[in-house]
Amino acid sequence: MAQARLARREHLTGWAFIAPALILLGLFMIYPIIWSLWMSFQVGKGMNLSFGGFANIERLTKDPVFLRALGNTFTFFIVQVPIMIVLALLLAVALNDATLRFRGLFRTAIFLPCVCSLIAYSTLFKSMFANDGVVNQALMALHIIGAPIAWFSDPFWAKVVIILAITWRWTGYNMIFYLAALQNIDRSIYEAARIDGVPAWARFRYLTIPMLKPVILFTTVISTIGTLQLFDEVYNFTAGNGGPSDSTLTLSLYIYNLTFKFMPSFGYSATVSWVIVVVVGILSLIQFLIARDRRSS
Amino acid sequence: MSSLSLRGVRKSYGNVEVIKGVDLDIKSKEFVVFVGPSGCGKSTLLRMIAGLEHITAGELDIGGQRMNDVDPSKRGIAMVFQSYALYPHMTVRENMGFALRFAGVAKEQIARQVGDAARILALEPLLDRFPKELSGGQRQRVAIGRAIVRNPQVFLFDEPLSNLDAELRVHMRIEIARLHKELQTTIIYVTHDQVEAMTLADTIVVLRDGIIEQVGRPLDLYDDPANQFVAGFIGSPKMNFLPATIVDKATGKITVELIHHDKARLTLPVTSGVVGDPVTVGVRAEHFGTAGAGNADITLDVDVAEHLGSTSYVYANAGGEALVIEREESRHETGSERITVSISADKAHLFDSKGRRLR
Repeated sequence: MAQARLARREHLTGWAFIAPALILLGLFMIYPIIWSLWMSFQVGKGMNLSFGGFANIERLTKDPVFLRALGNTFTFFIVQVPIMIVLALLLAVALNDATLRFRGLFRTAIFLPCVCSLIAYSTLFKSMFANDGVVNQALMALHIIGAPIAWFSDPFWAKVVIILAITWRWTGYNMIFYLAALQNIDRSIYEAARIDGVPAWARFRYLTIPMLKPVILFTTVISTIGTLQLFDEVYNFTAGNGGPSDSTLTLSLYIYNLTFKFMPSFGYSATVSWVIVVVVGILSLIQFLIARDRRSS
Repeated sequence: MSSLSLRGVRKSYGNVEVIKGVDLDIKSKEFVVFVGPSGCGKSTLLRMIAGLEHITAGELDIGGQRMNDVDPSKRGIAMVFQSYALYPHMTVRENMGFALRFAGVAKEQIARQVGDAARILALEPLLDRFPKELSGGQRQRVAIGRAIVRNPQVFLFDEPLSNLDAELRVHMRIEIARLHKELQTTIIYVTHDQVEAMTLADTIVVLRDGIIEQVGRPLDLYDDPANQFVAGFIGSPKMNFLPATIVDKATGKITVELIHHDKARLTLPVTSGVVGDPVTVGVRAEHFGTAGAGNADITLDVDVAEHLGSTSYVYANAGGEALVIEREESRHETGSERITVSISADKAHLFDSKGRRLR
């Protein structure tokens, strides 16, 4: 009897301790998530909302701007994520070489971009890629191009700048994961392979990559999520309009515009948000399936 | 099946010299064990032979060819690591055949060689398992199998049994001995365990602080150690060392007085040494006799007796000096007793104050 009372009191104390965190989480995370799902079924402008069933989903399929944003986001994802992952992997392997001098310096230099201020780096990129910016001047001085590239007004080059920027910013971040994983691999595995005459490329292809598979999967999923939510760079580089002519418009920027820039359409923008959730879910699932352990398949 | 020779081999890391000039000849098909305490440089020496460490100075020949700057894969060696170094994402079969894929060996040939090695090591039922699904002993056998498949001239083993439990270690020791008989290859084996060295080796190389202390057949090292270090390192239980002083010298013999044993005197057939010098008398546990049977008697207080069945080890002391004595007839001896044992001069070794053997 007394024991049961004690257990009850312990339970209550326990809940009391985690209550503040739970209330905050519920209020600021779970409630908005559920509310946004509810909102995605609402139609109307501003505060004038009514239940519309699947009207928003129907609208998605007919909305050329949404389809454009979806296409752009996929372009960024398909081009940028593989480039960044491969680059990060190569850099990590190079920096893991014990004979390399100034390793610490290189490691820090490559990692620094992801801790640097977003506005500072956006401003810098904008000035570097301006018509008379340092990039154009350098390319012209090297006679690679004859006339300056209009980085921000050409739909193709605008995408290129965005991809360059996010690759520059996040490669070091991914590299750190690979470096950590590489340092956990038993050195004698590579020594055994060397003695057995396995060439360097094969050690990378058949030993390093398979052994890093879980980390590669993790970074790929994280990067996929990051790229599908791409907003900051595009907003800063294009003054918030995803220009030129929507060629860099991403889903996140579109959501922002739908909510805060155009006549507010909260229901529809909630629907677009859930599109990102569904796409991330599907892509992550595909990545998990590809990387699945042979034994469990 | 290659011979090996090392001439004045040295290794330095910056200013620190870890291998201080090693000269050694290893005959073809010989089983050589490098043994020594940790930090003696035995693993470094092995890694230099393998080509994983650069040779700072000196010459390394394998099969009559200079190998100092030859790539590890071209030295005709295979190595088994302490950590097994198996590829975790490959099955046993793939682990064993992996290197052959890059040596231009045909698929059927790889399958045949892997099959042969698997049969020798009784790995056939495990071929499709992953390393994580194997026990320590099985992993070690796979690592050996991966070495065998390449059909090397020289096998290098770097403390291969250290990660196994005691029982398995004995079992694998026998396996490796059997393997050497079967394959007839040169084997260089590194261990810190002198029992492994004694049981496996044709030749033992005792190393300390980057130099060779003695090279010889196991029982030669046991019976006739070159110095106090080898005498103490080889053999289990360890040789007993009794401090003494030279008190008399005549032609072909020396008389010493044992410091902790009521000035018991012992005359040894030794020609070198100076009267008055401090020396150490080395006597193995099994070389103590019954009282009166030898050349000098000493009396000791028994601390502990270990009865192993076939024999007993008595841990005793005299004036704080601990000794181990093997007594086959002492099954019932327990602690807090006094015993008297004898030392025979022909079974005792004499070392000077620097640990050098006096003969």
